[in-house]
Amino acid sequence: MIRVKKKMKYSGYKGKILRINLTTKKTSIIDITDEFARKYLGGNGFSARFLFDMVDPRIDAFDPTNVVSMMTGPFQGINSPTAGKYHMATKSPLTNGFFDSISGGHIGAQIKYAGYDGFLITGRSDKPVYIFVDDDKVEIRSAEKIWGRLTSETQEMIKEEIGDPKICVSAIGPAGENRVRYACVITEYRAAGRGGIGAVMGSKNLKAVAVRGSGTNEVADPEKFEEWMNWYNVESKKVPALATVLPTYGTPALVSTINNMFGAMGTRNHQTEFFEGWEGISGETLKKNYWDKDTACPACPIACSKMVSVKSGKWKGAITEGPEYETLYSFGSMCGISDVGAVIKGDTLCDEYGMDTVSYGVVVSFMMECYQRGLITKENTDGVEFKFGNDDALVGFIEKTAKRIGFGDLMAEGTLRAARIIGGNSERFAIQVKGLEIPGHSARALRGMALGYSTATRGGSHHDPRPTGEYAGASDRKAVEGKAAWVIGTMQMTTIGDSLVNCHFLERLLGFTLTQKWVDMINPVTGFGYTLNELVDVAERILDLERAFNVRAGIRRKDDTLPRRFLEEPIPEGPSKGMHTDEATLNKMLDEFYDLKGWDKRTGIPTKEKLLRMGLEDVAATLEKI
Amino acid sequence: MQIKECKIDKFKCSLTLPNVIKMSVVLATEKKPLIRFDMKKCAFCKICEFSCAKFHYGKYGDAISRITIIRKSPMIFKCLICTRCEKRYCISACPTKALSYKGGNIVVDERLCNSCGDCVKACPFQGIRLHPETKLPIICDLCNGDPSCVKACPKSALSLVWLPEVRK
Repeated sequence: MIRVKKKMKYSGYKGKILRINLTTKKTSIIDITDEFARKYLGGNGFSARFLFDMVDPRIDAFDPTNVVSMMTGPFQGINSPTAGKYHMATKSPLTNGFFDSISGGHIGAQIKYAGYDGFLITGRSDKPVYIFVDDDKVEIRSAEKIWGRLTSETQEMIKEEIGDPKICVSAIGPAGENRVRYACVITEYRAAGRGGIGAVMGSKNLKAVAVRGSGTNEVADPEKFEEWMNWYNVESKKVPALATVLPTYGTPALVSTINNMFGAMGTRNHQTEFFEGWEGISGETLKKNYWDKDTACPACPIACSKMVSVKSGKWKGAITEGPEYETLYSFGSMCGISDVGAVIKGDTLCDEYGMDTVSYGVVVSFMMECYQRGLITKENTDGVEFKFGNDDALVGFIEKTAKRIGFGDLMAEGTLRAARIIGGNSERFAIQVKGLEIPGHSARALRGMALGYSTATRGGSHHDPRPTGEYAGASDRKAVEGKAAWVIGTMQMTTIGDSLVNCHFLERLLGFTLTQKWVDMINPVTGFGYTLNELVDVAERILDLERAFNVRAGIRRKDDTLPRRFLEEPIPEGPSKGMHTDEATLNKMLDEFYDLKGWDKRTGIPTKEKLLRMGLEDVAATLEKI
Repeated sequence: MQIKECKIDKFKCSLTLPNVIKMSVVLATEKKPLIRFDMKKCAFCKICEFSCAKFHYGKYGDAISRITIIRKSPMIFKCLICTRCEKRYCISACPTKALSYKGGNIVVDERLCNSCGDCVKACPFQGIRLHPETKLPIICDLCNGDPSCVKACPKSALSLVWLPEVRK
């Protein structure tokens, strides 16, 4: 297929989105215009727009008409620090709303080199397949032989079948095939983890996407970009997180800080927020006794990933890339496990079976509390004692959950749905927002996260609002005043980060909210010549689009809330003793939040005026019909 | 460590071109250069590939990089680059005698090359590939004596060393 298309005015884009229908096995190209790129930036923005246009938000997430979007932004395939990522989005089977997840991996650059800005995959194949994109050539190949395989095997087998070790593969594991609601997509050893995108891929009978590209990517202004790179190399050395902490320990460094300084590490399903066994799962322990080598996402000089292996004890021989802080929280403190060997073993298995570690760990800790309260017994749990601290329950049920065997079938539904089945008021301590399990940044100890989790598009995600600014003291974590503006600011920053498809670690250098430094990074690469105000508008436009999608899916102000436990029970001990955000305070912050956003206070729906101001006339018209 | 990228203009390099030629000719008669790869330090960030493509072509792309890092298994990384081996498989495989060994580098005579790709197949180190557009072999040329991959590597996994030349 040879297409003659006028080259785009702006750099960083290929101007083409590949649309693949798995039902009809037909592919087509959607052209990207300069105006579209400037309006939606890439990654998150592109996905939000295409999903709003292509998906009826009222459908079941496993409906064949749902779309899996695999996108890049203008920063993939160039040497920009922390841009070695790609973006995936779909209507989530966990939250029933718009959901996007970012993962590190070389596939982002390969998509660009193959000549695309992204893929939109729709329909359902009748037999298991995988997609191979080789520049202009797109093949939908049989995956009968690799169906049921673990993610690492799948990647190996596809590379072998095609005969090129350099191709990049994003694959799902058995969890995705069996529609575990929090199944993830794995590229190399990193995951587009949250929200069950893997399950949607599984529902389409799509095992993997493999990409090889022989093209190139360039920046708009090489000299300015070089200047920016030099600036980055000098300035990042002055930020301790980027210069020493992350390169040395990776995200596990957060364990001791969050647990000891803030007392904000959810423990035993958030019954408390100080874990006495923190030392066993701390970054220092991992580095000293388990570390083998550093690894990095492409183009990233930080190299925060750590290859670790267990050298002795019960879990000897387990090896993994990670575990990240969130996994240490969900498998460690949440389940009351202080042996990091079990966490490492669990992390490997979750990656291999293709499951989100945050959600899985929180589900296990939820089940442990149900067991503690007698809501479930050994009879329900296939004879396994679901006591806090029982690492056999944590590790043993990974395979069962991925394959939906026995009690694992209930666990595969996620905390919210499981709580509704178990009953007995267990929804009160289901640690989730909109169905998505909450990660390891406390909604009680950080006021911004309380408001952030409740209003985030994705639900309980720490990548919509960011906790980092509150840890760093850029915003008072106890304050109520001005918190709405702060949360909106961090959400704008993450939206831009997700649209460039850049790592959020840049926030420490460029600002927790959007600043001129962000603009200075984007302009040399794309040639947009953005002003800060225009960039803020881009972020708001994308956030409003996401909200509009969720509104059409039925999400309203009543859904913007926290688990009852967080609203009613203060933290019982530790440095943040007594802290929590009660319902009245949350409502006060919500009012302020909607006001500033230009959303209706009563319903949480974006107002017509706001949407028109963002240039979303068609969205305003669609919402009016509801 | 600060990444100081060479400008595309060769004369802006830290070593000026005439000096480099003199240096590599003098040294290469007695010693041969090698880009040494330390797998333990490598983090698989591929910044070397980006900087190689940037230096030679002013744009980015792993198909136009002369160095390639692949991850064979979680802990095993491999660096594919011209090793200036003793056997010079590529030179003997070339049917049109377009390849020769000069000043420590395998040099391609663009007028003689017919883009058959025999050198690519002959190289056991996978150090040669054909440029996707010009179809000419691209082989590490040490960026005029100051390899940009070595300079760019944030983990110092790459280093330039000079080994005694066995074959004269």
